[in-house]
Amino acid sequence: MEPNYRSKYNTHVIRIVIILVVLAVVSLGVRAMIVPKDFGKYGHYRPGAIQDEMDREIRNGTNASCLPCHPYIKEMHFSGVHKTVSCEFCHGPVADHIKDDQVIAKLPKKQGQEIKTLCLRCHNQIIRARPKESIKMVAMPKHLEDKKVRLDHTCDQCHNVHAPLMWVKQAKAMMGVVEEENKQ
Amino acid sequence: MKDIQAEISKDRRAFIKKVLGGTIAGSLFLVIPAGAMDIPEQIAGMLEEDGPFITKKKFAFIVDITRCIGCGSCCVADKNEYNVPDGNYRTWVERYVIDVDDNVYVDSPNGGLDGYQVPREDVVQDTIRDTFFVPKLCNMCEKPSCVQVCPVGATYQTDDGFVLIDEKRCVACSYCVQACPYSVRFINPVTKTADKCTWCYHRVRKGLLPACVEVCPVKARLFGDLNDRESEVYKILHQPHVISVLKPGMGNKPSLHYVGLRREVV
Amino acid sequence: MHGLAETASTAAGYAFPNDLHIHWSLMIVLYPYITGIVAGAFIVSSLYHVFHIKALKPIARFSLVFALAFLACATLPLLNHLGHPERALSMMITPNPTSAMAGFGFIYSAYAIVLIMEILFIYRPTMVALKDMSTGFMQKLYNILTIGSDNVSSRALALDHKIISFLAGIGIPMACILHGYVGFIFGGVKANPLWASPLMPVIFLLSACVSGIAGIIVTYMIIMKAKGREVDLECIRTCIKYLWGFFILDFVLEMLEIFAHAYTATHHWHTLHALYSGPLYVSYVVLQVIIFSVIPFLLLTWMNLFRLGDTLVRLFAPLVSLMILFQVLLMRWNVVIGGQLMSKSEKGAVYFHPEWLEKEGIIPAIIIMVLPLVILFVLSKIFPFWQEDDPVAGKSTAG
Repeated sequence: MEPNYRSKYNTHVIRIVIILVVLAVVSLGVRAMIVPKDFGKYGHYRPGAIQDEMDREIRNGTNASCLPCHPYIKEMHFSGVHKTVSCEFCHGPVADHIKDDQVIAKLPKKQGQEIKTLCLRCHNQIIRARPKESIKMVAMPKHLEDKKVRLDHTCDQCHNVHAPLMWVKQAKAMMGVVEEENKQ
Repeated sequence: MKDIQAEISKDRRAFIKKVLGGTIAGSLFLVIPAGAMDIPEQIAGMLEEDGPFITKKKFAFIVDITRCIGCGSCCVADKNEYNVPDGNYRTWVERYVIDVDDNVYVDSPNGGLDGYQVPREDVVQDTIRDTFFVPKLCNMCEKPSCVQVCPVGATYQTDDGFVLIDEKRCVACSYCVQACPYSVRFINPVTKTADKCTWCYHRVRKGLLPACVEVCPVKARLFGDLNDRESEVYKILHQPHVISVLKPGMGNKPSLHYVGLRREVV
Repeated sequence: MHGLAETASTAAGYAFPNDLHIHWSLMIVLYPYITGIVAGAFIVSSLYHVFHIKALKPIARFSLVFALAFLACATLPLLNHLGHPERALSMMITPNPTSAMAGFGFIYSAYAIVLIMEILFIYRPTMVALKDMSTGFMQKLYNILTIGSDNVSSRALALDHKIISFLAGIGIPMACILHGYVGFIFGGVKANPLWASPLMPVIFLLSACVSGIAGIIVTYMIIMKAKGREVDLECIRTCIKYLWGFFILDFVLEMLEIFAHAYTATHHWHTLHALYSGPLYVSYVVLQVIIFSVIPFLLLTWMNLFRLGDTLVRLFAPLVSLMILFQVLLMRWNVVIGGQLMSKSEKGAVYFHPEWLEKEGIIPAIIIMVLPLVILFVLSKIFPFWQEDDPVAGKSTAG
């Protein structure tokens, strides 16, 4: 004869089932509340993310963003062989310089050995960058020896960094040197 | 000089517009309010695209290995554009050195960010028969394996083919980093989310070229619209060039094309 | 994050700049290890409850609580690894159907429910009795755990028995899914030649079973020793038999995988070969295979082909189980970390040196592995493991 129990034989099972159902319903409800709006509209992602990406700050301004305020450099730079070199490569992005139409900081100007390092990034013959048809290359210090200048010279002492051949050509004109075309 | 400075500070925007109107011949002059800068438009017609996706253009990105000089301007511009933390690379440039015995030496010191300052010390200079540089960036696959594995839908592919990352949903589980066959993804230690090259989506949508394409001094990186039959990218992709993609056997169908790709490159 | 100096070093050759950092480190080694032990322990319990292997009765209930203790800690290594653990629930809110990892939340939750339910049902008669014998907090706790019911009539127990059999039965495929999907997380990554294999889920699952059985043997014997009680050696012998069977399958498939790669020697073999003969030579070839697979395999074969005396069983059962526990840990290490040592450049490898005190370092790993044992101890105060401590031993129809 079994003793009397307070609960029925299946009370615990029924309660467990109820708990699980409640858990499932609550989970779905919570999910509906916190899933981002329109998620899945275009694909399995939040559509607002596209606008978030588009709203990123544009930091590199292109050379044309520098020229309006720096017209003198423009004349030199764009008429020389360095016209394809970006201002921001040597000086930094314009976003570090201009914000909301105000100058917020000066951009760095490379000095001395920094200039030499920068020039050699493209023009170093020793690392055998490219065939010489693509870009003029020199080996240092051989270039200085060839040109018979002091070995502690940096590139900008003979070459204007914005128009590298400008002073070279002026010097040659002054000395009456007639260059053959396509030499070197 | 002083007059110009005075003019500039008086009304900057008006001054710039005046100058630009005169200097940029032909094309629509600007106006991309890019962080309150005004920049001339480089890709015409982008500002008319007002939907979520680009519909009128089909962009292509081509890297020409025969032109790259390994200067690293692209890496510098990219790092500046996105404040990429040190030790992580959205784009990088590799150097390949091949000697007369066909040994291949590859390196990428700091991803090419500092350019290539010194030759490889472990190779005798006289034995080198060829060197070349290979820029790498996101291949913007048509069937991206990174999107396939993201558990939360934080990385996704837009209808116009760009694979982007939602920084607000990414949990940095790094599954996408494992899944990318090209190792272009990394976990940004500042935002603690996944990050990668986006072909400068935010610039392109505003009509600007990607930063790396913009600064390349030798036009080793090209970006253009395949719907424009006169564009350089169209001509390259429709000529009998030997164009290749990286790891074609992987099945991701990358959209980044290389001109002059060499068999030593993976 | 590691400093610039560490990201700059490669072990050999050329690695892509973004490959210099190992993204899945100790925490991701531990996660499959822990879930593997959970799945394996559950299989032990199911061998009794579903397949009626009577010799396993002494540890049938213990295995379930053991599984629960480890399951409770399974999410910890993952949460520690994530860059944004506060967003972890996104995996359940917006799970990407193409991502194996998105299965985690649902599989884990479902499995936890099945396991907890099974434990509650099996222990119900015991807890009803214990409720009457306790006071205060413990009594309230038992009241909750028995879902407020005191009915242990034969009708109730018969219903319980049906439910327990159902849960134990369904738990087997669920355990397979719990660990199979982990294997597929790796197996589905085509970009990694070490991981991309259809055998990966099967290998993970079998090594999970093996680690679970071994874990139960070791903890059972240690607890009995600590309590000064006799171990049921027939139970141990049976465990060793199943350990042998599962380990044969596990070892054979692990060897088959690498053998198939080596034999067909397709494009990726040269990188795998460089990995196995280089950075992974010690941890894989020497440790995982030769010392901790071949030797336990021989030991288990000897123990099963010959009936050993009690003293030898008492000595070798825990020894071989510890070796296998270590082998499974090594396997996780060699797969997870080993797979990332090769760069996707196919031209080089990188180093991996875990630090003691970093976020995903050795100390956190030790803490996470010790925590389940602490939880197990706490659970032992609620759910008596052994028949000798059970007030209704022999009277219930469940294990």
